[in-house]
Amino acid sequence: MFTILASSAESGNAVSELFGQFGVNWKFFIAQSINFVLVMFVLWKFAFGPIQKMLEERRERIASGEDKLKLIEKQLAESEATTAAAIAKASEDAARMINEAKLGAAAFTEQKAQEAIAQAQQILAKAEIAAKADRDRLSTELKREFGRLVASTASQVTGKVLTADDQKRINEDALAKVEA
Amino acid sequence: MTHRTIYTTLIAWLSCLVPVFASGEAGGEGLPVKAAPLFESFPNIPITNSMLMVWISVAIITLFCRSATRKMSLVPSGVQNFAEWVVESLYDFLSNILGAYMVKKTFWFFASIFLFILVNNLLGLFPGVGTIGTYNEHGHIVGYFRGGMADLNMTMSMALVFFALWTYWAITENGMGGFLSHIFAPKGVFHGFMKVFMVVIFIIVGFLEIISICVRPVALTFRLFGNIYGGEQTMEKLMDLVPEQIAFLPALPFMFMELLVAFVQALVFMLLTAVFLRLICEHAGEEGAHH
Repeated sequence: MFTILASSAESGNAVSELFGQFGVNWKFFIAQSINFVLVMFVLWKFAFGPIQKMLEERRERIASGEDKLKLIEKQLAESEATTAAAIAKASEDAARMINEAKLGAAAFTEQKAQEAIAQAQQILAKAEIAAKADRDRLSTELKREFGRLVASTASQVTGKVLTADDQKRINEDALAKVEA
Repeated sequence: MTHRTIYTTLIAWLSCLVPVFASGEAGGEGLPVKAAPLFESFPNIPITNSMLMVWISVAIITLFCRSATRKMSLVPSGVQNFAEWVVESLYDFLSNILGAYMVKKTFWFFASIFLFILVNNLLGLFPGVGTIGTYNEHGHIVGYFRGGMADLNMTMSMALVFFALWTYWAITENGMGGFLSHIFAPKGVFHGFMKVFMVVIFIIVGFLEIISICVRPVALTFRLFGNIYGGEQTMEKLMDLVPEQIAFLPALPFMFMELLVAFVQALVFMLLTAVFLRLICEHAGEEGAHH
């Protein structure tokens, strides 16, 4: 700029006059330049440097956070898929086990029912045999008692002593009539 | 109620302007065009009122930076939050002009320019700047403080520092050959006689471009100085034209305009310097980006 100003004037006087009018002075100029450089240094050292470093650090952290978030989302999706698969498998196993249990229970119930039926039939058969034996025994005793009563009654009515053959014949007649 | 207040204020302000327009000539000689020396320091360098103002701005900027970055945390709050907002906004703004590559290299300079000019311009609007001082032999007040940018030494030093840095960045980014071809080489593809003709034309254009480049710091210097000095001078004159008791009233509306000017001039200086650099380093960083 000084060169331009110098070349535009016929002599150095014009520049000196111009500078003098505006108070431009080499000492002032250097002092103000130092002030300006000082400001730039202060701002660079204490403001722009640390702040830009902090902004960059924050940007990196945000970017890293975003990456981590994506990873977490991916892991979550995988975990959800794994959980769903595990739940599905567990449901399937549970259904299968329930089905097996049902089948087992039905078979067991059937077996126990058959056993119970068999036991009941056995008990019934035994009861029938016992009842038949009792009935036969009672029948025999009844016949015998009935015969004795008939013979006794006949003896008392006729007033004679009956022979064994008489007693046998009377008994058989009486039994035949009763049974008829 | 609000309208009544506004109208009353407006009428009061206009009535203050009556003596301004009624007076035949401006009162007092106004703000001197050059900064006034206050005292001499070692080694025989006079300390001017604008220099004092610049030191105060340096101190304020330093204190602000230290308080903003002393205990930095990843979750910002208070001053750190504000400082980060300023730095990030400026970085994004400059990134749009200079590109991602150049802004990384040059952000410190352009952001410094902007903040330095803005702080100085705003400090220049504080009460007492230009009005607190001593009377000289002519009976005019010599303020202890003067707007930092209302001193041609300051604006010139910034412009020349930029010019030096511009030259350095232009050569380092383009290489000496690239730098010269950027100025002198024909733009476009030509053949035969046209090629020779265009080479001659572009050499002449190149010299004009060099003159244009050399004029840039001059324009930067005087634009900033003129705007700030002009604003201060306007307010000074307006205050001189009314009785001292109501001197603040005519200048009051201009204070709001000066607040805007303080910001706009800082922005204009930063923008122009950034655009000048962008013009010469248009393709800087593209090779790196392609790789």
